[in-house]
Amino acid sequence: MSRGGGQAAVRVVPAGTTDAPAPVAGPVRVRISDLSKSYESDRGPVQALSGISLDIHDSEFLTVLGPSGCGKSTLLKCVAGLEPVTGGRILIDGKPVTRPPPDLGIVFQRDLLLDWRTNLDNVLISVEFLGLRKRDFVDRARQLLDLFGLAGYEDRYPWELSGGMRQRVAICRALVDNPGFLLMDEPFGALDAMTRDDLNLELQRIWLRDKKTALFITHSVPEAVFLSDRIIVMDRNPGRIAAEFVVDLPRPRTLSDRETAPFIRYSAEIRATITGMGILRNE
Amino acid sequence: MSSLAAGRRRSRFATDILPVILVLGGVVAAWQATVMAFRIPTFLLPSPVAVVTEFLSAPAFYLSNTGFTLTTTVAGFLFALVIGVALALLIVSSRIFDRVLFTLLSALHSVPKVALAPLLVIYLGTGMTQKVVIAAMIAVFTIVINTVVGLRSVDPEVLNMAHSKQASRLKILLKVQLPHALPNLFGALKAATTFTLIGAIVGEFVAGEQGLGYVILTAQGAFDTPRAFVAVVILGLVGTSLFHLLAFIERKVIPWHVSIRSERRR
Repeated sequence: MSRGGGQAAVRVVPAGTTDAPAPVAGPVRVRISDLSKSYESDRGPVQALSGISLDIHDSEFLTVLGPSGCGKSTLLKCVAGLEPVTGGRILIDGKPVTRPPPDLGIVFQRDLLLDWRTNLDNVLISVEFLGLRKRDFVDRARQLLDLFGLAGYEDRYPWELSGGMRQRVAICRALVDNPGFLLMDEPFGALDAMTRDDLNLELQRIWLRDKKTALFITHSVPEAVFLSDRIIVMDRNPGRIAAEFVVDLPRPRTLSDRETAPFIRYSAEIRATITGMGILRNE
Repeated sequence: MSSLAAGRRRSRFATDILPVILVLGGVVAAWQATVMAFRIPTFLLPSPVAVVTEFLSAPAFYLSNTGFTLTTTVAGFLFALVIGVALALLIVSSRIFDRVLFTLLSALHSVPKVALAPLLVIYLGTGMTQKVVIAAMIAVFTIVINTVVGLRSVDPEVLNMAHSKQASRLKILLKVQLPHALPNLFGALKAATTFTLIGAIVGEFVAGEQGLGYVILTAQGAFDTPRAFVAVVILGLVGTSLFHLLAFIERKVIPWHVSIRSERRR
């Protein structure tokens, strides 16, 4: 697999597995070639992203892992068509991204629920935005809320829910029109550790069911290993790809799998790479 | 005091209504006592009893003049609401409108509207129209400014969320920006009730043969202080009622807003 950006990209296949290529065999949905992104700030131009080349395959769960300020959220916004790119290009299903593509669902860092809508109507706003018939999606919205443990809360308001429940509603909102492509920008970053574990499990369950192409952003190594088929590690100043890992662990993964040897080996290897490259210090 | 504190948790009457009655009743009682104790002549300060007596001597007269002023005020208010929200929508929908309208509005706003009242008599005559226009003009600026702020202060990430689902500008306006602006709009409308009442009275002061402002003006000419006091007290009641009516509608329309939710919890 060649990289266009000329960056020192490391492909690590952990010990104990064969050195077979990526287990992701699906066709390429997203092709990012030599992407760069800069913007003007008060202190002059800032290079947010540089030389990013990356393919996301159909039905793949790809995670971008990196420290804060490495441009991983910017990368997601560029893929979503919410931010224009400065150089290079992004193709989704062969078409250049200039605006948000159809078939897209995004889960943001904050839940962004609207206080004046019930939880059910917050989920259904996606349908209203898309100009589809709301009543065709009411059943699916209820099923999704039920799947995320929110049965009985459909007619309540977001401000009556806990942070974890609110983010579950936000996930349902992203999924209600059944998009094929799911982007998640540190969706669990603001949640406590236990709620985060719950949501990791629920996200894995729904991903295994629907096999949507997923791009997930996080700064948590265990979360990345738990969820992903493949992990891209990013470095900052400018934001660039530093390493790539293929996570070949069987699914469904359980929370206790995180204490097993293969899982720990992945985590350790990723962390060693991160510290070894000076992205984070080990002390 | 201790009986008041004990009753606090009992009912809405004890917590919300009783204190108001006690405070207002206290003021009226003190007023009556002062007038009686110092034998203040009626033409300087009529006692509450004298004011009520004056009202009861000609209730139809006062009610019809109240009706005129109230109609003017409500018409001016509705006019300001429609024009204000329409202008706010134009301002947020295009940069050109933003520049042109904001320049015009701030220029208009810096002119005291009271100064325009005599001019409006020339253009619109001495009837109700002139008074409605003054009332609306005084109130409209607050409505425009607050609505624009509300429409513009939507979290950019919420707009990203909407764009990720292909939302059109119209859909974003109707389903996100307008509901988001409602708390600001209601804040402005509560202030506008007072402004439109001022506008209506100013209009009556300048020209006219009807309304509570006209009653005050003619009472002053005749040194009929009790008559002026009746009009002033009615104006106070009208202003307070309009404000609380708006607050009531606000609670019905935006029960989800944090200001209402926190009020309910208290």
